[in-house]
Amino acid sequence: MTNRRLVPVRATLVALAALVLQVSFVADLRIAGAIGDLMLVAVVAAGLTGGPDRGVAYGFALGVLYDLVLDTPFGLSALTYALVGYTVGVVGAALVRTSGWWPVLIAAAAGAAQAALYTSLGNLIGVSYPFGAVPAIALAMAVTGAVLVLPALRVMWWVHGHNEPDRLEMMFR
Amino acid sequence: MAISPPTGSRTRTIVLVVASITLVVVGLRDVAVVRSLRESAADVVSPVEGAVSAVTSPFRNAWHGITDYEELKEENDRLEAELAESEAAGIGQSDAEQQLADLSASLDLPFAGDVAKVTARVVSGPRSNFSHAIEIDKGTDDGVVEGMPVVTGGGLVGRITQATGSTARVELVTDPEFRVGVRVAGAGDLGTARGRGQDDPLVVDSAMSPRAEVAPDTGVVTSGVDRSAFPPGIPVGTVAETRQGSGGLALELVVEPLVDVDQLSYVTVLLWLPG
Repeated sequence: MTNRRLVPVRATLVALAALVLQVSFVADLRIAGAIGDLMLVAVVAAGLTGGPDRGVAYGFALGVLYDLVLDTPFGLSALTYALVGYTVGVVGAALVRTSGWWPVLIAAAAGAAQAALYTSLGNLIGVSYPFGAVPAIALAMAVTGAVLVLPALRVMWWVHGHNEPDRLEMMFR
Repeated sequence: MAISPPTGSRTRTIVLVVASITLVVVGLRDVAVVRSLRESAADVVSPVEGAVSAVTSPFRNAWHGITDYEELKEENDRLEAELAESEAAGIGQSDAEQQLADLSASLDLPFAGDVAKVTARVVSGPRSNFSHAIEIDKGTDDGVVEGMPVVTGGGLVGRITQATGSTARVELVTDPEFRVGVRVAGAGDLGTARGRGQDDPLVVDSAMSPRAEVAPDTGVVTSGVDRSAFPPGIPVGTVAETRQGSGGLALELVVEPLVDVDQLSYVTVLLWLPG
């Protein structure tokens, strides 16, 4: 069992590492002309391991962190990640019969959903992000999500331990 | 078995979503707190980013070698063809940049001739899919402040939107929020160019009649009229096509930027502020 006092420390460490890797490494690797999203992968992993509660918390925190280093409207990443994190948590918890590939599918779907949601909400607040760019962004985000979600789940187990309401373990039983 | 969300989850979700919406609303108003938080974050992140970039560069180079191979090969072929064409027709004859420089000179619009400038290295490209900004390694210590134009030898790159001691952020011409007053070279008509996202050309809303003729490859330069955010005569791009604007009252120009903002290594900041 993870020492509970270590959880905030480890969570902070993971969040900062994800941010640094995203801006200095992942952002430079283009897939179909778009960038993958490591921050979103962490949010998805949080939702899958801890349900909607953890998903929304990580979504908000990582979103605010990401927004601090971007030039995009402040708070938009926080809002979209929180919504995606919550949804992933609900979907992950609701799945009754699952195989080991479900997290991969969910992560890919979450990536595509994030691309569409961000573009839509951006346009809603008056930033004319082109909808034509959504397919490429959705693809890049889905691919990184699918590839990285399994290692990300392990990281989340390292942070929170297996003894918290561990939905994945219950799903796989 | 299905698992129902734990009690308290819904409350926390609502609180955090409302908090995010509040942040968006506050952020839209460009408040000082958000601005200074972002500046502090830039100061902290930039050095770490540089270090991690240096360590991971072999991997990134390998990745680019794999994913960009076709593109590089095409570019190489194209450049070879262009070089041959250029040599045949006299160097620079077909070069749009040269044409623009000539046009600017003929209009007596010096391209930032007597403005002091600072050359800066591009530290990082856009950090997310929705960001159209790059970071450079010069900041207020070198006299770079918010609002200054950024160019390369080819033309307009963008504008400084945030500057701290040793770094600054450049909003690129392709940013959907970017606006610049332009003049169509030759005709002299004025308009406003706006970005439309990465890899997409700019669009110029002009006041020209929908029946006006603008030849393809006509140069477009910054107008510098009145209280423009840019000095006059900086080459912006060349006209790719013309079409009727929304409403059908004016001509809309599709303008291909001269500078490929995806391929920048060094840029020049003009130490110039709107008067």
